[in-house]
This record gives sequence, structure tokens and C-alpha cells, in this order.
Amino acid sequence: MHKNVNIDVHHITRVEGHGNIVVNVTNGKIEKLQWQVPEAPRFFEAMVRGRSYEDIQTIVSRICGICSITHSLAATKAVENALGLQVTEQADKLRILMHYSEQIQSHTLHVGYLAAPDFLGAPSVVPLVARAGDVVKTVVRVHRIANEWSDLLAGRTTHPVTLRPGGLTRIPSEKQLKELQKTLKSAIPDLKAIADVVLSVAGNIPNFERDTEYVSLKQADPPTYTFYHGGITSNDHKGKPLPIDKWHEVTNEYVTEQSTAKWAKWHRDAYAVGALARFNNNAELLSPMGKNAAKMFGLKSGCCNPYMNTVAQLVECFHVVERSIELIDELLKKGLKDEKVTSTVKAGRGSGCVEAPRGILFHEYEFDKKGNCVAADICIPTNQNHANIQKDFEKLLPEILDQSESDIRLKLEMLVRSYDPCISCSTHYLDVQFVK
Amino acid sequence: MTVKSKKDVIVVGIGNVLMSDEGIGVHIARRLTETKERYPQVDFLDAGAAGLSLLHLIANRKKAIIIDCTKMGEEPGTMRRFGLDDIKSIKTLSGLSLHEADISRIVTLAKFLGQLPKEVVFFGIEPESLDPGQNLSKTLSDKIDSYITEICKELS
Repeated sequence: MHKNVNIDVHHITRVEGHGNIVVNVTNGKIEKLQWQVPEAPRFFEAMVRGRSYEDIQTIVSRICGICSITHSLAATKAVENALGLQVTEQADKLRILMHYSEQIQSHTLHVGYLAAPDFLGAPSVVPLVARAGDVVKTVVRVHRIANEWSDLLAGRTTHPVTLRPGGLTRIPSEKQLKELQKTLKSAIPDLKAIADVVLSVAGNIPNFERDTEYVSLKQADPPTYTFYHGGITSNDHKGKPLPIDKWHEVTNEYVTEQSTAKWAKWHRDAYAVGALARFNNNAELLSPMGKNAAKMFGLKSGCCNPYMNTVAQLVECFHVVERSIELIDELLKKGLKDEKVTSTVKAGRGSGCVEAPRGILFHEYEFDKKGNCVAADICIPTNQNHANIQKDFEKLLPEILDQSESDIRLKLEMLVRSYDPCISCSTHYLDVQFVK
Repeated sequence: MTVKSKKDVIVVGIGNVLMSDEGIGVHIARRLTETKERYPQVDFLDAGAAGLSLLHLIANRKKAIIIDCTKMGEEPGTMRRFGLDDIKSIKTLSGLSLHEADISRIVTLAKFLGQLPKEVVFFGIEPESLDPGQNLSKTLSDKIDSYITEICKELS
């Protein structure tokens, strides 16, 4: 066994910190083991105060470049709940279709760009091109389809512009939906190719388990593997899912010394959100292709290996594509209608919840009688996962302490990557030195 | 699926408009969009915090002009034009999350995939403030017209 291990994956920027992994082992004794994270998007809550209910979804869409549709949808639903606005069945289905596009965008990026280099033994996706160029090109192709899909429904690839409280300002034509459906069908062989590659290296997924609470949406009527409607549930929760406006009873955010970001706990001292949580709570509701993909990897409900979150994402890709093909059929069968978006203003408070690719997301707003925001509260999935990552670390490290320092570091990093925390997405600046 | 027709040249503004000068690329792209009638062969795009989606935006073009907030060690407000080979990235990334974006590495990936436009030009603007806020610093705000004049020379 190693007597001393010192790992410090530490980054400090002028704007905000990143996630830090700190390990100090002396004479075989773990003296320090911390997942350290800074607070991320809380200041966005201050930015929406004083703004009209019509502007909220546009502002919050800029919080994150990966989950911009998700943030906009959560905000729009919260505004609609606060103001008592209803949306039509058509708008609801088109929003779900829009939301699905972001799941595929994010999941393919996660599987292909973040996890694949680990599985295939490359330091990052760029050198992976030389070693497995076909795989990277397949991932890029699926990601490109998802981007165009977002563009069609959301009006832009990133930061949607078609969402308004009460509906959608623009809808695709039936011809465009048919073309999208055709494209999605043509993407299935690429998804299968990606799954085959991941399966071929699945032996590199660490065999680690820790029983924890998994929290996600759950929809009973009609029973659906949901990303959008339903209430809050977990494997520890008894009875009907909690209504969305009770989300504070789930997150129970608290402050710890090692992190400026708040942590969350419900029935235990930590819980997990994300694809694996959704899978564990809804596996029986997957589409046939989603079920087949799960079977292929031996993924079963009750899985408590956090590294399998990546596989759960892959399973969801199949489900989302198959469900989207059906959803387009349902929309075309009814025929698309132009619908006016109308809204009336009143004072109120409302919550909105959707499943972001990396887990359940809550937005809550309060408006005065003129429809101006007076209070905002956002709880992102990453904050809900922080405590769970720390608890994973605490079980994992003693189990791998006999391995080399570089292997320990890799397994800890892979663990964090499997959650893909949103820890620094608010800045995209270049930082360069001139060489010429 | 019908892909929007792509023009030969794309001007992409990158950044987060909720982080003051971080959003300079987007502010410039929005202003440049107002001139689109003068440049029929150019797509102007506010890509926001798009990150890896940049790969798709620049693919199959002859030329891409990327405007981004850039720490270069210059005076705040300084704009420099450079190519991928003129720089090396010193941005610290944890490698733990997709949410970190280093645009120069994304462009490098496009190069490795053989999807890089023949010409890629960066305009980097040294920030004064990266604090939360929806307004540019006065230093950058005062210079935005001169940035636009300079970038438009690239289009003629």
C-alpha cells in the first residue's frame, strides 16, 4: 500500500474556481479527501429581479451553454405556474421535442468527448482523433444532428428564442418535422455504432458501488420515462411523487466548510441526480430500443455504480430518439396549427422543474402585480450532486489506495467526469500567449 | 433534415453576456448583424456560450471569423487579430466537465477532424471586467465602434 498520496487537481481563475480534488494520505492514513467546488450560478438570481416575466427565460438561457434549453424551459414553466398560464397540447409536445434535442446534444458530448477518452485511454478527445477517428466522427455527426434539431425547435442551437410564457412564438412546418423524423431514423445506426464501441471498452468502467438515494422526476399519468412532467421521487420516497412546488423539501440545501456551493440532502446525507437516477426510478418505462441498450450493458434498475451514469446516458439517447420519432407522428397526426401566445399578468409565485441532461433542475420566481420579478431561486443538478460525489470519494479511496497515485487520480477524475458537473460554464474566454 | 443554407463566411461572436466583458464577442456579433445587408455572403451569429457547437458552425465554410474575449496580457480594451498558429492556449482546464470551453482547442479539434475552414481568423479583446453583470465595462463599450470598423475590413 502507498504510504503517501498527494493529489491536488486545483484550478483557480480570476473569475471563479473550478472543481478541485484534494487528497492527502500520510503513512496510509487518509488525512484529507475533498471535492471542493465554488458557488456557480447564484448571482443569476439577482440578475432577473426587477425584470419582466417575459424576459426571464431569455436571461436564464445564458446561464449555461450546455443546458440553455433546459434552463429556459424550467423558467418558462415556473413563470406559467406563477401566472396561472396554460399551454396547448401542441406547444407542450413541441417543447418536449425541443428538450429531447438538448438531451442528445449533451449526452453525445458527454459520452463522446468526456468519457470516451477515459474508456479508450486517451488524455482528451483531440488526441483520440488520431487513435479512433471514426468513433469521434460518428459522435460529431450525431451531435450535429442534435444541434440542427435544437435549431429547428428552439430557433437557435444554443440559447433558445422560441419559448414564451404561454406557448411558442414559432413552430416548425409539417415538412420540417417529417425531415427531422427521417434524420432521427437515420441516426440510429450511428447510435448503435457508438454503443458498440462503448460496450467493447466497458471493462474499463470501474467496478465500484455505493448505495445512495437517486432523485428524479416521475410521471404516472400517462406513465412516461419523463424529462419534463410529473413530480419528484426517489428510491427512498414512499407514496406518490411530491408536487414540484415542494422542491425545497427535497433539496434541503446546506452549507459546508469545504465548498462555497451549497450541498443538498433528502432522506440520507446525500443524493444523486442525473441519467442513472432517472433510469433507476423509471427503467420500466424506457422505449424498446432504450431497454435493449440497457440489456446490452447489463444495466438494471437499482444500479449504484456512479460510473454507469455514462451508460445510462447512452441508454437515454436510444429512448429519446425513439420517443421523438413517435412524438412527431403524434404531432403530424393531429396536424400543426398556428397558435397565438397570450398571457395575462398577475402577482404570484411559481416553481418549474425539468430534467436537465445531468439531473433534476428547479427554478422558482415571484412576480408583483405588474409581472416584474421580485424573487428568484434556482437549484441546479450539479449542486445536488456535490455531496454525493464527496460520499463516493470517501467510499472509493480506501478501496483503491493500493493502486498507483496516477491510477487513483484517474479514477477520482473519472468519477467526477461521470457526473459532468456544471462548474465553470459561465465563462468562455480565451487565455493565450503569442508564439509568433 | 433541411440544414439552413450556409454562406461561405461566418462571423461568430462567443461569450456570456451575463459576465460583463466576457460577452464582448456576442455584443459585437449583434451589432455586426445589423450590417448583414452589406455582406450577402456572410452569416453573422451570436453563438453565446455554445462551446463545442462552434465545431458545427464553422464546418463547411471557406472562412470563419471568431470574436471572443481573450486574456492576452494587454491593456484592457486592446483588440488583436490572430490565427490559430500564432497562439498557444494557456487556459487552465480541470478536464472534469464539458462546461469548460477553450475555443482554440475546439478549433484545433475541427482541424484534426479535417473540418476546418481554409481561413480562420480570431479577434481577441482584452477584458477589463469578468464580473457578473449584463453591461460591458466602459473601456470596452467606448471602443465597440472601432472594433466593428476593424472587423469589417476583414469582410471586404
